[in-house]
Amino acid sequence: MSEILRYHAEQLFAEELEELRKQDTGKKPHNWLLSPQSVVTYLVGGTLKNGFEVSAKYIGSRRLMEIAVATLATDRALLLYGLPGTAKSWVSEHLAAAISGDSTLIIQGTAGTSEESIRYGWNYARLLAEGPSPNALVETPVMRAMKDGKIARIEELTRIGADVQDTLITILSEKTMPIPELNTEVQASKGFNVIATANNRDKGVNELSSALKRRFNTVILPVPESMEEEIDIVRRRVEGFEKVMELPAEKPALEEIRRIVTIFRELRNGVTLDGKTKIKSPGGTLSTAEAISVVNNGLTLAAYFGDGQLKAADLAAGIIGAVVKDPVQDKLVWQEYLETVVKTRDDWKDVYRACRDLA
Amino acid sequence: MSVHLLGIRHHGPGSARNVKAFLEELEPDIVLIEGPPEADSLLEWVAHEQLQPPVAILAYQPDQPQRACFYPFATFSPEWQAMLYAKQKNIHVRFMDLPLAHVFGLENEAKEKAEQELEQEEATQPDSLNNNTDAVVTEEEVTADLIPEQRRDPISMLAEAAGHDDGEKWWEHMFEYRQDQSEVFEAIHDAMAALRQELPRANDRMEKLREAYMRKCIRQAEREMFQKIAVICGAWHAPALREMPSQKNDNDLLKGLPKAKVACTWIPWTYSRLSYESGYGAGIPSPGWYEHIWEYPKDDGTRWMALVAKLFRERQHDTSVAHVMEAVRLANALASLRQYSRPGLEELNEATLSVLCNGEPIGMQLIRDELIVRNRIGAVPTEIPAPPLHADILRLQKKLRLPATADFKDYSLDLRKETDLERSIFLHRLLLLGINWGTTYETGGKGTFKEQWRLQWSPELSIDIIEKGNWGNTVEEATANYVTDKTRQAASLNEVCRLLEAAIPAELPAVIDMIIHAINNLAAASGDVLQLMEVIPSLVRISRYGNVRKTDAALVDGITYSMVDRICVSLPAACTSVAEDAAQSLLDLFYSMNDAVGLLQQEALSASWQQTLRSISGNQATAPVIGGYATRLLFDAKQLDEETLGKLFSVSMSLAQPAAVSASWLEGFLKGSGTLLLLDDTLWGMIYQWIEHLENDIFTQVLPLLRRTFSNFTSPERRKLGEKVRTGQVGSVHNQAVPGTINTDRAARGIPVIMQILGFTDPKLV
Repeated sequence: MSEILRYHAEQLFAEELEELRKQDTGKKPHNWLLSPQSVVTYLVGGTLKNGFEVSAKYIGSRRLMEIAVATLATDRALLLYGLPGTAKSWVSEHLAAAISGDSTLIIQGTAGTSEESIRYGWNYARLLAEGPSPNALVETPVMRAMKDGKIARIEELTRIGADVQDTLITILSEKTMPIPELNTEVQASKGFNVIATANNRDKGVNELSSALKRRFNTVILPVPESMEEEIDIVRRRVEGFEKVMELPAEKPALEEIRRIVTIFRELRNGVTLDGKTKIKSPGGTLSTAEAISVVNNGLTLAAYFGDGQLKAADLAAGIIGAVVKDPVQDKLVWQEYLETVVKTRDDWKDVYRACRDLA
Repeated sequence: MSVHLLGIRHHGPGSARNVKAFLEELEPDIVLIEGPPEADSLLEWVAHEQLQPPVAILAYQPDQPQRACFYPFATFSPEWQAMLYAKQKNIHVRFMDLPLAHVFGLENEAKEKAEQELEQEEATQPDSLNNNTDAVVTEEEVTADLIPEQRRDPISMLAEAAGHDDGEKWWEHMFEYRQDQSEVFEAIHDAMAALRQELPRANDRMEKLREAYMRKCIRQAEREMFQKIAVICGAWHAPALREMPSQKNDNDLLKGLPKAKVACTWIPWTYSRLSYESGYGAGIPSPGWYEHIWEYPKDDGTRWMALVAKLFRERQHDTSVAHVMEAVRLANALASLRQYSRPGLEELNEATLSVLCNGEPIGMQLIRDELIVRNRIGAVPTEIPAPPLHADILRLQKKLRLPATADFKDYSLDLRKETDLERSIFLHRLLLLGINWGTTYETGGKGTFKEQWRLQWSPELSIDIIEKGNWGNTVEEATANYVTDKTRQAASLNEVCRLLEAAIPAELPAVIDMIIHAINNLAAASGDVLQLMEVIPSLVRISRYGNVRKTDAALVDGITYSMVDRICVSLPAACTSVAEDAAQSLLDLFYSMNDAVGLLQQEALSASWQQTLRSISGNQATAPVIGGYATRLLFDAKQLDEETLGKLFSVSMSLAQPAAVSASWLEGFLKGSGTLLLLDDTLWGMIYQWIEHLENDIFTQVLPLLRRTFSNFTSPERRKLGEKVRTGQVGSVHNQAVPGTINTDRAARGIPVIMQILGFTDPKLV
């Protein structure tokens, strides 16, 4: 077993990508490893002609993935938009892996992301010693993607300051990055494109300028539509995690996952699943991603501290941690939910007891 | 002699194009179209330039106009194109579906049978309310659709076989967007034949009958020695028309079918109606889009996107040319990703959402309403023999410049103007007839010479018009007869008064006379004073405000006065020995009645009303709530001085009375007068003293009743009352300035400044 904690998508699914490439008969855009149809198949899963089973990476609307892939096939950039935890980064990673075979050309957007980390920086020692020269230039992932005709990923685009965001405009519309210091420029090879992700929940985001917005096609990733869909997502991701973490615990019981997803959905939507009782929503987003981490957390607890079987008690701490983000407001919301909804469900007694003990 | 079968999808622009091209190439000498043969005579209008689709053939049973059926056509309907072609080339064209006479006949038969069964059931089990409602539902279902639901299913089966998940979409891309149309009818025919083998629907009697009749029509055409016969029918039927079974078989099938009378006419239709399910199979979800691809079959989405952009710009939504370009490119990329030869509406919508709307679906609603459905209304030439009432309505619409539109339009009518008054009369008459084209609502402005109307035409109104046609040939006549009949049948005074109220703005003098007469009779016969009181307010409204419309208010006056008199006579008796809740409802009537009498401003009437009130308040047997309220009304009208009021109050509140009675009297007495109680110290003092002198246990008994009274007041009133109680003010206490704390010297020094501020510049003061 290797020492690496988490593999890149193109490493984890190398076999699938290889198989898809072999079976691919469609027309490939320049510098793409797969045809657009195959990229969609890679994302939403399916069976190839030779019976090879491709697992689903994104569970949800196929149309959204088609729009995303079609966007990248034109020369518009793609903006994945949505609540935290709706698989934006996940989709972006897999898109890059399937199209360019490389999901590592990534810039994490923060309030401190500077122009140098998007365009290029300087190796100052060299700059002082040799003066401006291509050798003194420090390439960014974007620049490398342009040179190689690959997909560059920008995470959390709206966290980057507005003035820095706008450096992308020239790159996206003219597909070139001027380097005035050297009186030269880097022109993008075919196949270059940008996938940005942004979330619409956070406070303090920098709205995109309309000039920049115009260069992106927006795809909004929704929260899972149905209970079954969400359970499916959580189960698959947790099973993947188990493999990675080499957990000795038994497979997560579907029943427990169902309960967590129920709790999350109910609190998120502010109404019980049967639509009869209104409840307050806490401040957090309670995304599917958080549900996944709660189950993982519970599995770990069960494996190392429990009897190896996922029980309500193993999950309680995780649930409370995910729901109660604000110690005052959310705690009240959670207690109210516990007393009015959880307590009244007959087969939920263990959840109620476990959560109450912790509270 | 050759028969050419053109299997189509109703309202499919591609099918329409194919039909048109096919006919132009074939040059047939007769065209047979799936449609009701009763409407054959209507076909001569097709080439008329004023007949603008969307239009529909309305077929109905004259003796039962609600049993009706529509065959809508848009420009992009294959049937329409076929008719148009036939008329332009001056060749024969006929409808060949099973005559509606039989369809209606069969339905009538089924309905009668159901009713008989129901009766039998009712005979066996007496309480079968549920069954009754069930029967009504099934009846509607029978009329709603002649064509069985399965039609869409077979196509989705084909689509599945071709590896698509959506039958509708598959068909569109396969046949409707297709540019190359060679042999398309053969292909459709083969596909349907295969489906019919897979899915035999042997037991559907209606379908068998229809196909048998279609075959009969084809044979008829053959017998008439037409050389090239083109048959336009739903794709599903095409195979059944090719393999001709024996003629005898069909004739046997069609023998002895029941018949009903059927009449047909053209009526304007709307796109929004076209998108519903109706008599001609399934509705289409996107008529606007279909029209677009009918007009611009080669559009790769550019023209459509330009339309979208134009719409967005009109709504102040910035959209650049670059946006349009990008959207078209994305739509085309999506289409090629899905392996379609060109983008369909879905791809275009997804591109719009992603590029123009930044992923937010709000803007899509606008596109749906304005472009995809695009609400349009067709037109029908005025010469078309419409039923006389319909013709009269059309004439008036034209004369008064009130066009029928698919979108609603608001009119503000000034009744002092001649045209507006006529418009108002016309609209009111239609309302009376139950043809709900317009709705009127309150205007904001003062005065009663204004009326606000909102008009929106919908095709169903045509049925209403036909249905009301048997009342008369003009709007005026029909309305008059209809109202007269309704008045005769009306049982309650209330109903007739509502008719009167509605008839007055519709200006039907003869009818109004008749209604008033009816009211008089009913009022005289009615022993129920409550009923009289209920109608008085509306009568008074008419008599006070009717004048603006130049109606003769005197007509109403007479009857109003006599009714007030009647009420005054019998009311006191009606107020005795009433139960608590009945008394409460009577109380509400008192309020409006008192208002109405005040509004009449007839001294004699007011006097007799007050006399009635007095006798009610003085009568010990009157329900206490009413007694209390009557007393208050008298006090309000200054008919009682303080002393008498005090006396009445203490009598009613005296300890000898049961506490509940006292409290209930008080409730009536104080009804809706929290503020009055705060300000009127006489009133306040009386109540204060009464409560103060209550025994403890009686107070406990009265408390809930008191609470009920006070809970009717608004909360600021209650708070103020509470404050007043706490300060313990009894009787008249006036606000007084607290003396002795003003420093006159210092006050005087301020005066010049104040004078200056106020603008006085008296030098002596400065």
